Amino acid sequence: MDKLLRNKKAIVLFVAPAFILFTLVLFIPILQSVYYSFCDYDALTPPKWVGLDNYVKLLTKDKTMKIALKNSVFFMIFSCISQLIMGLVLAGFLTNIRKGRNLFKNIYYLPCVLSSAALGLLWMFVFTPKLGINAMLTSFGVFSDPTEGPLWLMDIKGYIILPMWVIAFVALWQYVGQSMMLYMAQISGISNDLYEASYIDGCGKGKSFIYITLPLIRPMVATAMSLNAIGSLKFFDLIYNMTEGGPNHRTEVLATHLYEQGFKYFKYGYASAIGVVLLVLCLLMTFLINKFVKMDNYEM
Amino acid sequence: MNVEYGKPNTAGKVINVIIYIFLILLAAVYLLPLLWVVMTSVKDDKILMISPWAFPEQLMWGNYTFAWTKGHLGGATLNSFIVCVVTLVLSMLIGAMAAFAISRMRWKGSKLMMTYFLTGMMIPVHCVLIPLFTKFAGVKLTNNLVGLIIPYLTFSLPITIFIMTGFFDSIPDELLEAACIDGCTIYKIFATIALPLAKTGFMVTGLMTFVANWNELLLAMVFISDESKKTLPVSLTKFVGPYNTNYAQMFAAIVIAIVPTIVVYCAFANQIVEGLTAGAVKG
Amino acid sequence: MKNFKRVLASILSAGMMLGLLAGCAAAPAASTPAPAAEAPAAEEAAPAEDGVQEITWMFWDDLEATSDLISLGYKDVVDRFNKDYEGKYHVTPITTNLEEYYSKLNALVAANQTPDVFIVSPGPNLDVYVNPGVAAVLDDYLADGWKDTFTSDAVFSGGTYDGKIYAIPLNIAAACVFYNTEMFEKAGAEVPTNWTEMLDACEKLQAAGYTPITISAGTAWCLSMVAGYLCDRNGLDLDKIASHETDWFDDKVVNAANQIVELSKYFQKTAAGDDNDIATAAFYNEEAAILIQGSWAIGQINGANPEFEDKCGVFQFPAIEGGNDPNRLIAKSDSLAMSSATKYPEASIAFMKYFTDDIAQRYTAEKGGKIPVTKVEYDAAVAPKELAYVMDIFENASGTFGFYNESLADTEAGSTFDNAFVEIFLGTPIEEALQEIQDYYEANVW
Repeated sequence: MDKLLRNKKAIVLFVAPAFILFTLVLFIPILQSVYYSFCDYDALTPPKWVGLDNYVKLLTKDKTMKIALKNSVFFMIFSCISQLIMGLVLAGFLTNIRKGRNLFKNIYYLPCVLSSAALGLLWMFVFTPKLGINAMLTSFGVFSDPTEGPLWLMDIKGYIILPMWVIAFVALWQYVGQSMMLYMAQISGISNDLYEASYIDGCGKGKSFIYITLPLIRPMVATAMSLNAIGSLKFFDLIYNMTEGGPNHRTEVLATHLYEQGFKYFKYGYASAIGVVLLVLCLLMTFLINKFVKMDNYEM
Repeated sequence: MNVEYGKPNTAGKVINVIIYIFLILLAAVYLLPLLWVVMTSVKDDKILMISPWAFPEQLMWGNYTFAWTKGHLGGATLNSFIVCVVTLVLSMLIGAMAAFAISRMRWKGSKLMMTYFLTGMMIPVHCVLIPLFTKFAGVKLTNNLVGLIIPYLTFSLPITIFIMTGFFDSIPDELLEAACIDGCTIYKIFATIALPLAKTGFMVTGLMTFVANWNELLLAMVFISDESKKTLPVSLTKFVGPYNTNYAQMFAAIVIAIVPTIVVYCAFANQIVEGLTAGAVKG
Repeated sequence: MKNFKRVLASILSAGMMLGLLAGCAAAPAASTPAPAAEAPAAEEAAPAEDGVQEITWMFWDDLEATSDLISLGYKDVVDRFNKDYEGKYHVTPITTNLEEYYSKLNALVAANQTPDVFIVSPGPNLDVYVNPGVAAVLDDYLADGWKDTFTSDAVFSGGTYDGKIYAIPLNIAAACVFYNTEMFEKAGAEVPTNWTEMLDACEKLQAAGYTPITISAGTAWCLSMVAGYLCDRNGLDLDKIASHETDWFDDKVVNAANQIVELSKYFQKTAAGDDNDIATAAFYNEEAAILIQGSWAIGQINGANPEFEDKCGVFQFPAIEGGNDPNRLIAKSDSLAMSSATKYPEASIAFMKYFTDDIAQRYTAEKGGKIPVTKVEYDAAVAPKELAYVMDIFENASGTFGFYNESLADTEAGSTFDNAFVEIFLGTPIEEALQEIQDYYEANVW
């Protein structure tokens, strides 16, 4: 048995395809990306080493980058917190109702499997004054004209502008099902004895949720949060299809900025630097969340 | 699931009603936009502009014909399907092989190898977009469905390996030992014992991979230029972009893009939801 | 160390592995269908049929779904070409939407898959392809008498570098002010000739309950075109900017910025987010009285709402009192360039000639409403009424100039200019917005 499982040829045979693909398509390109980020590279001429120039320009001069960074961080914080709260609330509610649990669960989960490109377009129309919510409210007499209402995707007042909030809520709408499911699965794994004991001790449902459920699902909170954080940092489809980064780059995020710099202006080196910043943020967030949120696994 | 222990009292009932009201309202937020887009997609363009929220008086199925033919959505759906199925099959096979070696076989580097694969989950595709594009352009893999399959496959591997490892871990040792005594080779053990036992794992990873790749926009947008090779999200984004004034047709295009997924989802909702969760929880 | 060897071993066995893969695939029972059967379907290369020279043409609108009459005219050209040369040449259009056009074209260029023929706007956008030698020199092909069919040599000026021609113009469009005559009449507004009258007309339109101006700031060049007009009417000389004799804080630029702010009171409420198509639609759907646009909009307007033609008037962009010559006109031509790497130059040139033959050029004027570039005779009575007005303005023009965003140092300078003026419209202080483009010039141009 042992000899069989130590068959080196078999191990190599099994691991090699994945390893090679992974190395060629992911690992080496990342290193290349890091290299390009130190170069002036426009795709038509070979990369030219410029040291930290791209980063200096990116982090000190590029106003759009500042906006993109602000928006991406806002987006990440918002989605981590909102998904945590909404996910837990929904999971808590759904595990405690008797009828229709599956129905609700399936409805809330539905957008997770749909194309965010299509949903982005759909919500873009919902927030288009002449077609969507504003037109509906106008027909109820709330506004005299659809453009009287909030200009959902065009308003530019405030530090975090209205379109960013709108997009953030749409993202919450689309992806909260995922967090909800993760928490539900974890909650359903908690032994009933624990709850029974707490009820005997006179805890109500709310209290037992706080004192038993929450601590026990903490590892899952970390997993869900990491997923949210990375997912929201690399956010592209919804923004691209709802605002294309507009009005005038005010809703740009890291991914859309990278796309524009790289594939509109041909600035591969500069865009690679944005990619590296994105990568660093992703790794950093995963590290932080796992360090501070995830604790030892409890015995279930 | 936890059983209800508190005796039903009035306060509990009120809370229950409130919870249901909340859940129903929220369900409306989920379903209304989808219903609206379906309703609008069969309206006449002119009427749509005048009263976007009224029920259609006349059903304009022509909107669908227009979107389907002029928006190239038919070909795009086929392309998406080819890309996703090939990726799915390959990623499950390659992923399962690696996962099996990591999970059951005995070698020193297995932990390290696992970590190597897992870092892939933290890497956004954007970071490799440019090097991949320049590299693929050099070997004529851009504007080519194979050029999409390779990165899709690679980015599906971490999660596949991750989940499959979990499933292989849970196979009892005795089963493998029995096979070993029967004189099976390691390849036969993998093919006839490990793979069938991890069927659920395949379903889970298959679903995740399929959903993710079916909806992928960025890579496909950068890599593919030919109309005949575009995938569904790209064709949709392009169709809805420039003809910003044929609203009804654009709504029809959105419906075409999401309805197949919704139908499949409705048919297998429970399995899909359970499966995807099972996968995430294992992880 | 052992790990390292193993890793090395696995890399070395790569080739072998890939070969084995197909065999392995069939082995693991029924749960995984063989991938080999699916893969080849994806790899459909497009081999040229025997003897047929396959070329590609890249264009910035969808030829199938568009209602733009100019685009539809191009579709005719493609169809005619493919029919006439059946069995010899064949062209396949690659289409994108306008916003994405240069990103996609650049991607193809970077991938060494430059389309054989592609549409391009003269100016910095063309520089990008001329400087590294992506676009071919066309003089030799023009020498066979083709060049003589054009109205004058001047039409080539935008595509000429060091005396060599790199781009063939297809038509000329001039930026004018389109207005709804009915609304003007009802509001008692007069056609303005200078800035005061312009604001006055807007005021009257607004008082009468109309939205005076529809414009797109979501598509930055639309607003920037107006800014370009204002800068020029104020007397800004771009050469002096380029040579750093003056800078972006020139009074003339600041005046233009203030005038944009003045005018923005009369824009539709959704101007910040509306894109070009939506803003133009608001004009032909009679939701707003004035549209400042290039005459390519005629094809769009008449294509989408044919009944509007009778109500549509055109006047030239008003003068600024005390400013520059008010008869200068922003003009723009769609041009075609050929890839220097094309395998089939004859086919590509034959295709390009179809765009400038009499049928296509007559269509350009009579249906599309753009100014033809060749000496073709067209029937002015059939052509859209708007074209007659535009021709009038065009013939009286004292000079033409390009879009500002296509007349600056490079494409990014153009975008910076666009964005600065959109920022001003959105309410950023003028100083701060102009500082952006000033910074760009200081860092990259001067």
